[in-house]
Amino acid sequence: MSTLAPLVLLAPLAGFLVNALFGRMLPRRVSGWVGAGSIGLSFVFALAILTQVIGGGHIDQTYFTWWSSGNFNVPFNLYVDPLSSLMILVITGVGFLIHLYSIGYMAEDRGFSRFFAYMNLFVFAMLLLVLSGNFVWLVVGWGGVGLCSYLLIGFWYDRPAAVLAARKAFVMNVIGDVGMVFAAFVIFLNLNVLDFSSVFSRVHQLPKGGTVITAICLLLLVGAVAKSAQLPLHTWLPDAMEGPTPVSALIHAATMVTAGVYLVARMHLLYDWAPVAATTVAVIGGVTALFAATIGTAQTDIKRILAYSTMSQIGYMFLAVGIGAYAAGMFHFMTHAFFKALLFMAAGNVIHAFHDDQDIRHMGLLRRGLPVTFWTFLIGTLSITGFPFITAGFFSKDEIIRAALSASGIEFVMGLAALLTAGLTAFYMFRLFIIAFGWEWLRDDPRHLHEALPIQTIPIVILAAGAAIGGYIPVANFLQPVFGHAADVGTLAFWGLALLTLVAAAIGFALAYMLYARRPEMAAAWRTRLGPIAALVEHKYYIDELYDRVLVRPGYALGRFFSNVLEPRVIDGAVNGVANFIMLESREWRTIQTGRVRSYGLWTLGGAIGIVALIAWTLGYLPFRSG
Amino acid sequence: MVVAFALLAAWELVTAAGVVAFRRPIYNALSLVANMLGLAILFLMLNAQFLFAAQIIVYAGAVMVLFVFIIALLNPGVDLTLQRGSTEWIYGIVMGVLFAALFGSLLYNRGLTGHTGAFTPDAIAATGNVQVIGAALYTKFLFPVEVTSILLLMAAVGAVYLAMRKAE
Amino acid sequence: MQIPAYSFLLLSGGMFTLGAVGFLVRRNPLVIFMCIELMLNAVNLAFAAMSRYLNSLDGVVFAFLVITVAAAEVVVGIAIIVQVYRAGRDMDVDELDLMKE
Repeated sequence: MSTLAPLVLLAPLAGFLVNALFGRMLPRRVSGWVGAGSIGLSFVFALAILTQVIGGGHIDQTYFTWWSSGNFNVPFNLYVDPLSSLMILVITGVGFLIHLYSIGYMAEDRGFSRFFAYMNLFVFAMLLLVLSGNFVWLVVGWGGVGLCSYLLIGFWYDRPAAVLAARKAFVMNVIGDVGMVFAAFVIFLNLNVLDFSSVFSRVHQLPKGGTVITAICLLLLVGAVAKSAQLPLHTWLPDAMEGPTPVSALIHAATMVTAGVYLVARMHLLYDWAPVAATTVAVIGGVTALFAATIGTAQTDIKRILAYSTMSQIGYMFLAVGIGAYAAGMFHFMTHAFFKALLFMAAGNVIHAFHDDQDIRHMGLLRRGLPVTFWTFLIGTLSITGFPFITAGFFSKDEIIRAALSASGIEFVMGLAALLTAGLTAFYMFRLFIIAFGWEWLRDDPRHLHEALPIQTIPIVILAAGAAIGGYIPVANFLQPVFGHAADVGTLAFWGLALLTLVAAAIGFALAYMLYARRPEMAAAWRTRLGPIAALVEHKYYIDELYDRVLVRPGYALGRFFSNVLEPRVIDGAVNGVANFIMLESREWRTIQTGRVRSYGLWTLGGAIGIVALIAWTLGYLPFRSG
Repeated sequence: MVVAFALLAAWELVTAAGVVAFRRPIYNALSLVANMLGLAILFLMLNAQFLFAAQIIVYAGAVMVLFVFIIALLNPGVDLTLQRGSTEWIYGIVMGVLFAALFGSLLYNRGLTGHTGAFTPDAIAATGNVQVIGAALYTKFLFPVEVTSILLLMAAVGAVYLAMRKAE
Repeated sequence: MQIPAYSFLLLSGGMFTLGAVGFLVRRNPLVIFMCIELMLNAVNLAFAAMSRYLNSLDGVVFAFLVITVAAAEVVVGIAIIVQVYRAGRDMDVDELDLMKE
C-alpha cells in the first residue's frame, strides 16, 4: 500500500506534465486520452488500495523529509485510511468519467490540451490534499486546488465575465487559505507537531472546549467555508459557472467544494474536542442549505440553479459533520458526487444542444431530441430529491436529517431547517426539470436537436447507475474504523423520519408540478404577489452588492490611493528628489571649473588651509583647545 | 648671530615681497635672485654647506638665468592685475592673512620634539659635509636619486619636444 | 644655536605665504612661476632648519632633491609658456581657460 499511494498521486501529475509540455504538439485524441487515462490509472491504483483498506488497514508513511531545521522537520507523508481511500475513489472514479466526457465536450475548443493539463493538475492537487499526512501538504494541496479552480474558471480568458469570476473565486479562496495557515500556526505553537498522527494523539492534552482548540477549529472552518462556498464566503460559486461545464461538474460539484467537509471529517478528533466550533459548523451548514435552496427557486440559468443546489447539499454535509454524524456526511458526499456530476454533465449536453444558451426558459421538450440526457437527468433529479429506495439520495439525505432531529437544542432546529430544505430542493429541482426538459411527451422534436456523442453520454449513464443504486454501498461500515459506530436508531424512528422527509419532498414536487406544468400563469401571479420577497430572492439577497459596497470598493479606493498618491508623490518623489537635489547641487558646483589656473589655485589653497586647520584643531595644536 | 639672522630674515621678506609686488617682470626676477642668495647664506648658517653651494650653482645660477633670458626674450608687458582699479588682490590678501594666521598659531613657541639623530654638526664636520651627504645619497637615498635622474631626463626630452613644435 | 627653531620656521612660513598670495594675485604666467619657486625655496629653508635642529641628514638631502625637481619643472614650464607666446596668445593666465567645463 505504501507504494500504491504515491502512484495514485503521480499518475495525474504525469498527465499534467505531458499535456502541459507537449500538449500543443499532440493530436487531440492523444492529448485527451492521456488526460483521461492518467485519472483512470489513478482509479485503478485507488481500487488496489481499497482492497487493502477494507477491514481497517491504514498507513501513515513518510517518503522523504521535505525540509528540516534544527530538530523540527517537515516530512512528506501520506495518510491512507478508509476516509482518504473513499475520497480518492470518488475523486478518481467520478473524475475519470468527467474527463471522458470532456473529450467530447471540449472537442471544438482551441485550448484542448491546456484544459486537460489543468484538469490533471487539479486532480493531483486534490489527491494531495486528501492523502496528505500533515498540515503542510494539506495546505499545499488546498492552495493547489484553489489555483486550478482559478485557472479553470477563467479558462476562456477572453471572456471578461469569466476572468472576473475566476478572480473572485481565488480571492475568496485565499481568505480561507489564511484561516488554514493560521490554524496550522496555532496547532504548531501549542502542540509542536504538524503531522496528523502526532496531532491526533496529542489533542487531548489541550483543555476540552478551551480557547485554543476552539480557535484552531474555527480557523480551519474559515478555510472550509471558503472552499465549500458556505455562508458567508459563498458568492464565488454561482459566478464560477462561467467555466466550462466539466469544470463545474468536477470541481464545483463533486470534489473541490467538498474539501471543506473532508477537512472537518479528517479533523473529527479536534472537533469532538471543541463542541462550540462543531456546533458552528452545523449551524453554518443548516443555514446555508436553506438559504441556497431559497435562491435556487428563482434562478433561470441552468448551471446556476445547479450551483445553488450544490451549495445547499454541501450545507447538508456540513450539518452532518457538525453534529458528529461524520459517516453520514461522507455518505452524502459520495452520493452527491454521483448525482451532481451527472446533473452537470447532462446540463452540459443540453447547453451544447442549444449552442451555449443556458437560460432554461428557452429550453423545453427535450425528451425526443436528447433522450439519454433526458432520462439520466430525471434520475439525477429523483436522486437529489430523495425518491425512496431506488435512489441513493434517499438514503444519504435521510441519514443526515435523522441524525439532526435526534439531537437537541440548536441542532434540532437545524434538522428542521434541513427538512424544509428537502422540500425546497424537490421544488426547485423539479421546477428546473419541468421548465428545461419539459413534461409533455410529444411525438416529434420540432427543433431537431441532436443527442450528444457516446463519449459524453456513457459516463452520464454510469453515474446515473451510481445515483440509483449507490445508496446500498455500505459506507458507514466502511468508515467505522475511523469514526466508530453510529448511534443506533430504533426502527420506528427510522421509518417515521424517512416518511417525514418523503412528505416534505412530495409537497415540493407537487407544488412544482402544479405551478409549472399545469398552471404556469399561477406561477407568474404568485411572483407578482410576493413582489419584494421575490426580488430579494432573485437577487440572491443582495449579498454580492453588500460585499461590493463594504469590501470591494474601499479596497479599490485604497489601491487607487496607493498608486496615484503614495507612489508618485512619496516614493517616486523621494527617489526623484534625491536625483534632482544632486543635479541642482552639481549645477552650482560646476561653476568652479573656470579653466583658470588662479581660481583653481585659490580653491586648492583654501581647501588646504581648511584641512590643515581641521586636523590641527582636532589634535589640539591650536591655541584654543578642542579635540 | 642673532643680529645676522634678523638682518637676513628682513632681507628675505623684503625680497619676497618684491617678487610678488613689482609690476615689471624683470624686477620680479631680480628680486627672486636676491632672495635666493639670502637663502643660501641662511643655509650656511644652518651648517648645510652643500646646500649652500647647490642653491647658488643650480638655482640662482641656472634656473634664474633661464628665467631672465626668457623674460628678455618674450618681453612681457605690465601685468594686468596691478593696473589701476583692479580689486582682485583682495582675495589674495585675505587668503594670505588666513594662511599666516594658521602658520602663526601652529608654529609659535613650540618645543621641538622628535628623535635627535646622530648627525650633530661636530660629527658632520669630522668627515666633511659633502662626503656625508654623498654617502647618504648613494646608500639611504639611492632610489630617490635614481628616480630623480629619470625625471630630469623626462624634463629634457619634454622641453626639446615642446620647443620643436610649430606654433599653433 | 641661540636662534630658536621656530624663528626659521616662521620665516619659512612668511615666505611661503607671500609666495601663495603672489600666485593667486598675479596674472603673468612667468611671475606666477616665480612665486612657485619662492614657495619651494621657503620649503627648502624649513627642511634645512629642521635637519639642523634634529641632527639629521634627511632634510638636507630632501631639499637637494627639491632643487633638482624644481629645475626640471622650470624647464618644462618655460617651454610651455614659450609655446603659448609663439601661438600669439596673451601672456595672461585668465585667458588660457581651455580646461573649463
